[in-house]
Amino acid sequence: MAIIERPSTELEVSITPSVVVPSTTLGNLRRPVQSTGWKSWLFTVDHKKIGIMYGVFAMIFFIIGGVEALLMRLQLAAPDGKALSADLYNQMFTMHGTTMVFLFAMPMAAAFANYFLPLQIGARDVAFPRMNALGLWFLVVGGLVLNAAWFLGGAADGGWFMYAPNSGPVFSPSNGVDFWTLGLQIAGLGSLIGSINLIVTVLNMRAPGMTMMKLPVFTWMILVVQFLLVFSLPVITVALVLLMFQRSFGATFFDVAQGADPLLWQHLFWIFGHPEVYVLILPAFGIISEVLPTFSRKPLFGYPFVVFSGAAIGFVGFGVWAHHMFAAGLGPVSVAVFSIATMAIAIPTGVKIFNWTLTMWGGKIWFTTAMKFAIGLVVLFTIGGLSGVTHSVAPSDTQQTDTYYIVAHFHYVLFGGMVFGLFSGFYYWWPKMFGKMLNERLGSWNFWLMFIGMNMTFGPMHILGLQGQPRRMYVWTEARAGEGFFNFGFWNLISSIGSFVLALSVLLFLINVVQTARKGKQAPLDPWDARTLEWITTSPPKEHNFDRIPTVHHLDEFFHRKYVEDEATHTMKAIATGEEIVRNEEANAESHIHLPSASYWPLVLAIGVGVLGLGVLYGVPIMVLGAAIVLLSSFGWVMEPSVAEDSDYDPPAGGTSKELASHG
Amino acid sequence: MSRHAMSARNAHRVRALAITKLVGASIFLAGCAKDAPQDVFQPKGENAADINNLQYMVFGIAGVVGVIMTVLFVVTMTKFRDKGQPIPEQSHGKPALEITLTIIPALILSVVGVFTFRGVFDLAETKDTELVINVTGQQWWWEYDYPVQGDWGIDKPIITSGQLVMPAGTKVLIRETSRDVIHSYWIPALNGKRDAVPGRIHTLRLHADNPGIYAGQCTEFCGLSHGNMRMEAVALSKEDFATWVTNQQAAYKEPEKDSLAEQGEAVFLNQCVRCHQVNGLKKADGTAAIAAPDENVYAGAAPNLSKFMSRNTFAGATWDLLKKDCRGNVWDAKSEEFGAKYLEGVSADCLNEVDLRRWLRNAPAMKPMYADPTKLEPTDGKYRGMPYLALSESDIDKLVAYLLTLK
Amino acid sequence: MADTAVHAAHDVGHGAHVTSTGLSNNKLAMWLFLGSECLLFGGLISTYMLYRGRVANGPHPNQIYDIPFTSVSSFVLLMSSLTMVLAVSAAQRRNDQQTNLWLTVTALLGATFVGGQVYEFTAFYREGLGFTTSLFSSSFYTLTGFHGVHVTVGVIMLLVTRSIIQKNRVTGDKAESVEIVGLYWHFVDVVWIIIFTLVYLIPA
Repeated sequence: MAIIERPSTELEVSITPSVVVPSTTLGNLRRPVQSTGWKSWLFTVDHKKIGIMYGVFAMIFFIIGGVEALLMRLQLAAPDGKALSADLYNQMFTMHGTTMVFLFAMPMAAAFANYFLPLQIGARDVAFPRMNALGLWFLVVGGLVLNAAWFLGGAADGGWFMYAPNSGPVFSPSNGVDFWTLGLQIAGLGSLIGSINLIVTVLNMRAPGMTMMKLPVFTWMILVVQFLLVFSLPVITVALVLLMFQRSFGATFFDVAQGADPLLWQHLFWIFGHPEVYVLILPAFGIISEVLPTFSRKPLFGYPFVVFSGAAIGFVGFGVWAHHMFAAGLGPVSVAVFSIATMAIAIPTGVKIFNWTLTMWGGKIWFTTAMKFAIGLVVLFTIGGLSGVTHSVAPSDTQQTDTYYIVAHFHYVLFGGMVFGLFSGFYYWWPKMFGKMLNERLGSWNFWLMFIGMNMTFGPMHILGLQGQPRRMYVWTEARAGEGFFNFGFWNLISSIGSFVLALSVLLFLINVVQTARKGKQAPLDPWDARTLEWITTSPPKEHNFDRIPTVHHLDEFFHRKYVEDEATHTMKAIATGEEIVRNEEANAESHIHLPSASYWPLVLAIGVGVLGLGVLYGVPIMVLGAAIVLLSSFGWVMEPSVAEDSDYDPPAGGTSKELASHG
Repeated sequence: MSRHAMSARNAHRVRALAITKLVGASIFLAGCAKDAPQDVFQPKGENAADINNLQYMVFGIAGVVGVIMTVLFVVTMTKFRDKGQPIPEQSHGKPALEITLTIIPALILSVVGVFTFRGVFDLAETKDTELVINVTGQQWWWEYDYPVQGDWGIDKPIITSGQLVMPAGTKVLIRETSRDVIHSYWIPALNGKRDAVPGRIHTLRLHADNPGIYAGQCTEFCGLSHGNMRMEAVALSKEDFATWVTNQQAAYKEPEKDSLAEQGEAVFLNQCVRCHQVNGLKKADGTAAIAAPDENVYAGAAPNLSKFMSRNTFAGATWDLLKKDCRGNVWDAKSEEFGAKYLEGVSADCLNEVDLRRWLRNAPAMKPMYADPTKLEPTDGKYRGMPYLALSESDIDKLVAYLLTLK
Repeated sequence: MADTAVHAAHDVGHGAHVTSTGLSNNKLAMWLFLGSECLLFGGLISTYMLYRGRVANGPHPNQIYDIPFTSVSSFVLLMSSLTMVLAVSAAQRRNDQQTNLWLTVTALLGATFVGGQVYEFTAFYREGLGFTTSLFSSSFYTLTGFHGVHVTVGVIMLLVTRSIIQKNRVTGDKAESVEIVGLYWHFVDVVWIIIFTLVYLIPA
């Protein structure tokens, strides 16, 4: 199914005649062959196009989730807010959390992973390109199903954690929770497919010489994340299935009258939910572990420590879920054990912060926008990490949990950590992805506004939480606001103003993107004096990524092709420019490169699964229709070889456009 | 723009950043000093004080580490910015330093861990408690039920809501559960929070050093009106608590003949008694009026109004029964005067008639509840919360007069 | 994770596909998928174990299980693992005819098991154990139903593999395709042994 798995002839020739390769995909339907226009995107299996589409969808949902957040801050800016009704407010925070986690953060990380992981390991694509497309379309269908609820009787209103029994049919009678369970199951399936695909890609498709301990840290962190997903997604799937069976088919799983234990949901949810936190943050850690060395002009300090601490975080991350349940009544033994385990996870996290700082120490720091965001992450994540340690102390946490202090904590970790990391990635890799430089001046404004906005929005929430304002309340009241000037009223107002500063910074980024697309300046091949393999090719990379698959000798291979160490002074001496290296690769281009061909089936299959899911809500005929689409597309998929024709593709000299297997 | 110019400009920004953080820290301290009723740094009893000690320890450590890290960041960024120095040696780290930097946090955390361990088990202790109160959450109010405990003069169960009344200086054991979804009981001045989970009984220790009133709020999202589910714990001296117990157990006082209140009793019997129990209330035919909330309310309970005016909040402790200045008298009372003021209850002069009338006029308009009669299919026709009763203004007058007699 | 990367992986389309780990992509993917499945069944089994004694209505597990019957169908499923091994071995010997034969037998045994489960469900339903009857019934049907669906999918995979081999339309290594289907099949069998022990043999 992969590009490298074209029909192999040697093994079979002795027994069977040559492999049949249909030029049509199903019956008389011809394979999609367009290399430009919308069809070239919808049916693509190119990891770079898929990566960009992940990014676009994630950005759209970032804006949607952001608008939901702004509406909440409007409501809470003053006591007894009137902007939203209680019902609408509950839907807002449910969908804000769900959207940001499942439809923004995970897909945006997937965008970077899809685009850069094959490039960083020197591969031409991922292991299963059609599966890759399928993962994307599952996510899109899942996201649409989730949000369709807004127009079909109201969105889910049980919080992103959706605790039973409040999520049951009696307590949440609208269809919102049904769409939520369905949407998440579909999106989760997409993530599972994507994660298996990426693991296989990293393990199996590394360039010659690229040992595991020469993998770029970004790739390492993505690898850890994919393992986390493979082992945590099935658990949430179980929870979602139980909930769906209860709501749609009358099962009793969370029916207390029947003797059900509501804590079952919490355990299942958080066994997934805590690894999920690391699923969100580790990609950002990976990104800045590329950015910090590049702009400090030094390798990452303690590469093996960073890698192993990343793996350790992933591993221990499975053993701390119950720290979300310190107030849930688990009993002192469990609470004490999980409390200690939670402290343990702070250690590898601390190691990372030290390593990043020591990477800069002794360096030659160049404050680009990407670097500013990366440093922003280190600073803000440190704050979030320290506030995290404060509630690893379980008794202390029973005062803080479910207050705004927690909201502050995880926004420092997820906004200050993850979002800053992702923005660092945008500015760092934009020239690689699109061949144009994002405007650094606007970028600097973007950074400072975001940094200030973020601290204004979430900083005061620490204080609000410690002053005793609980989360998830659609109004707060003067009666509990405290006296003096610095009471709930002041801090809530600051926080609300800050949220609009944040919104402005995101708007600046979008303006920057549009401006760059219109009249951005052409990016040099190696604008940042970068260090890793993705830069040993043109920007944007050709469809086949590398003219010649690089052979790897060093961690930071690209850097070591450009510089050698002066034996006497231990400083680095330039021996080649990035341009020269890329020209050299082009001059020695490999011929005879096969790429997988575009396919209808990933998209059609994903739509089929969406229809099948809606059938759960809207009756058996819809379900049958969905099942029919799924069966048809599976059949088409299985019968279709991944490479359209036995036609070799030779890259036209220097060009990046081509017709893909046009006789298919 | 050259790299050097850029980095020089940024060095200023780094300094600006440091100043911003310093200012931020001082605002933070100022922010914590103010007197919010649910402030978690103002313990008013043993359990909360134990937690507070742990809080100070871990916040202190986090603060010190934070300052050290900030200094480290600032020094790094200013010292090693690109000033035209050559590209440094490509060193990959120093294992000894790495290991040291791993061990130091591990040591700090193990100290924190020991204290945490002890704190967790101390707070879970239930053997030394002296009084038991059952607390039951439902959408969107708390019921307090005092099982018979001769030592405290509780000869028959007392059922109240809105305010948890307990003796000060006493270790009280709260036994929590829920009748519908998960709620969480939290009086920050007295202890951390504990979830009330249907089908399970969880325990929570409460202890108040002095008489006073301590605010709290439901902290587990429990549906539509989660934001309107509050509670207050009232600590009374042991003598005052005994008085309160006696008052709660006192027989029903029938309203005066031919008073407005007597007409109010009739309205109550006609409308309210379907869900709300008033102990001792008799129907016109002389039989006891027994409320049947289980037939009308999904959770199967509605607040018992027997001594309604002895507490000073209603509707999930969300609105006050006392006018603003009367409320201030109770809340701001010195602890030695507090008991007497609280035991006065609500007098006609102090009654917050505005909110009470608004509530009687149209409860679901005031507090979002599932009370639309056309949308009760999932709950077999039962309400979640108080429905709109279409009372006339004169009925409301009568009811208010009657409710004032329930003390 | 072998660090001795063999790099012909990029030697695209030139015969044998050597990967960095030496394990083919498809096989590695199947192992990962099965790892994920372990957690899926782990969650479902935990749910069942928590709820198996909670019977507010309807029959109790001890009253309803027909151990001899289920033992026989479990034995059938176990035997199918044996025939699957024979199919894989035949495929490795490149004996198409034998491969097809054993794949067919395996599919038939699997189908027999599923048939037995359908019979069992029907019998339980007649005795008053509906899907919504109690916590026990919901979790029992969900767990065994999920397993049944897995077996059914396995049967379909076996049949499809068989028909693709027959029509010579295998893309890639034939023996390996059979082996990968075999991995899945053995996994489903092992899961059943766990379910059978925990659900049927240990009294609630």
